[in-house]
Amino acid sequence: MDVSSADMYTGGIIGMILSAGPMAKAVMVILFFFSIVAWTIIFMKYRQYSRTEAEGDRFFRAVKDADSFKKLISVYRDSQDNAFYRLVLAAYKEVTSRQKDNPGRIHKDDMPGIENMLRVAISDESAKLERRLSFLATVANTAPFIGLFGTVWGIMDSFREIGVRGTTSLAVVAPGISEALIATALGLATAIPAVLAYNYFLGRLKRILSRMENATIYLINILDK
Amino acid sequence: MSEETWYKMLAVSLALHIIVLGAFSIPIKWGSSRKIDLSSAYSVNLVGSAGNLGGGSGGPKVAAQSKPEPKPDKPAPAVKEKKVPPSKKPQPIQKEDDAVSISKKKAPPKNKATREEVDRLEERIKNIRKKTDYIDVAKAGSGGSGKGTGTGAGMGLPGSGGGSGAPLDPAMQKYLLDIYEKIKNAWNVPGMAQKKDLETIITIKLRKDGRIVDVNIEKRSGNRVYDESVLRVLRAVEPLPPIPSSLNTDSLEIGFRFLPGGLS
Repeated sequence: MDVSSADMYTGGIIGMILSAGPMAKAVMVILFFFSIVAWTIIFMKYRQYSRTEAEGDRFFRAVKDADSFKKLISVYRDSQDNAFYRLVLAAYKEVTSRQKDNPGRIHKDDMPGIENMLRVAISDESAKLERRLSFLATVANTAPFIGLFGTVWGIMDSFREIGVRGTTSLAVVAPGISEALIATALGLATAIPAVLAYNYFLGRLKRILSRMENATIYLINILDK
Repeated sequence: MSEETWYKMLAVSLALHIIVLGAFSIPIKWGSSRKIDLSSAYSVNLVGSAGNLGGGSGGPKVAAQSKPEPKPDKPAPAVKEKKVPPSKKPQPIQKEDDAVSISKKKAPPKNKATREEVDRLEERIKNIRKKTDYIDVAKAGSGGSGKGTGTGAGMGLPGSGGGSGAPLDPAMQKYLLDIYEKIKNAWNVPGMAQKKDLETIITIKLRKDGRIVDVNIEKRSGNRVYDESVLRVLRAVEPLPPIPSSLNTDSLEIGFRFLPGGLS
């Protein structure tokens, strides 16, 4: 340690992180990485869900206006790729493949098959929507523990320092402990947004999926006409 | 979700983290950037050993030192209202209020001292222990040059001291100066402390090998970062040079007074 360490210490949180031990630094790097990835997922999912919900609104508007499946398809013909578009597309493909042998009206017997196809499409979509959401849950659960590990390690160091120095003076021990506690603080700072976001997205995901279920019912009804 | 947005979101997330980290560090960084290098302007003020008071007739040793402005809460008056009139003191430079002395704790008064004197001495010793055992590591304009003469004057005084407390001998002076020099050079005043009237008083206990075995904060400045910087520097300078064997002492207690400097 030299002058620069005293200098660094005055740099607030950053200085404290920089002057921490190697294990604490490793823990903090891991937590920082987790935090960045978690926030990336949060932004990604927010955008994905917002788009999907907007598309859902659009679908319901279109399906209420349309009096036949053909009309609905014409609305969606030039749409860009999205969850509800894929739902309509799955239904359309199934319908056209069944109409190949006997064009014209759709048979009553065909309906269960189409329904199954839509169900598959929904489960595909929900898999896409759920993807990477589990990482948020992982971060939310593990980040506090990782931070705690860093803190425990730092306090172990501090106590060893007491032994080496032969003094229990708070002045000797406190800075080490204070540095160690940063790891816990970072762990919590990483975990809290992840928990909040995970629960928020879980609720939103549920809403979107129930709307998709409704959409399939609309699709089947419109095919039945 | 397409891949291009993945990267976009990663960039957004990175930016967010950098902003948050920056928010934590910027105000303090800004302060430190205005830091002035004080190392060349520091002075260490020495006041003679309190141990010398033992004899009752011992003159107070007030180190000569130049200090830009005297502090209001000086503990030194206790030292100064001694029997020896100030005019007798061979001080080449104006005497230093903020300064400090090194205490040798035992100073049994001689029998020839009157009752009154004993009482007074005890009180004084108490005072001195409490308040004046400090070395000033403050900034002073002409500190660098004043130091040598200051300690010289301090030494010259105790000639009349009849007590058992040993006066500061040259080896001690030299040793203490080394320590102050080391601490002073290692200490960087935190940037935000520049304009504040902060004072941290610390006593440390040294082992023979120069290890600090105890750090005692006598007075906190009230500013955490400032206090920490002081504690940091004490940790940073360890181990201090070993106590010279010529001093015949196993441990030594030294007080320091950390002032941000006369910038206010």
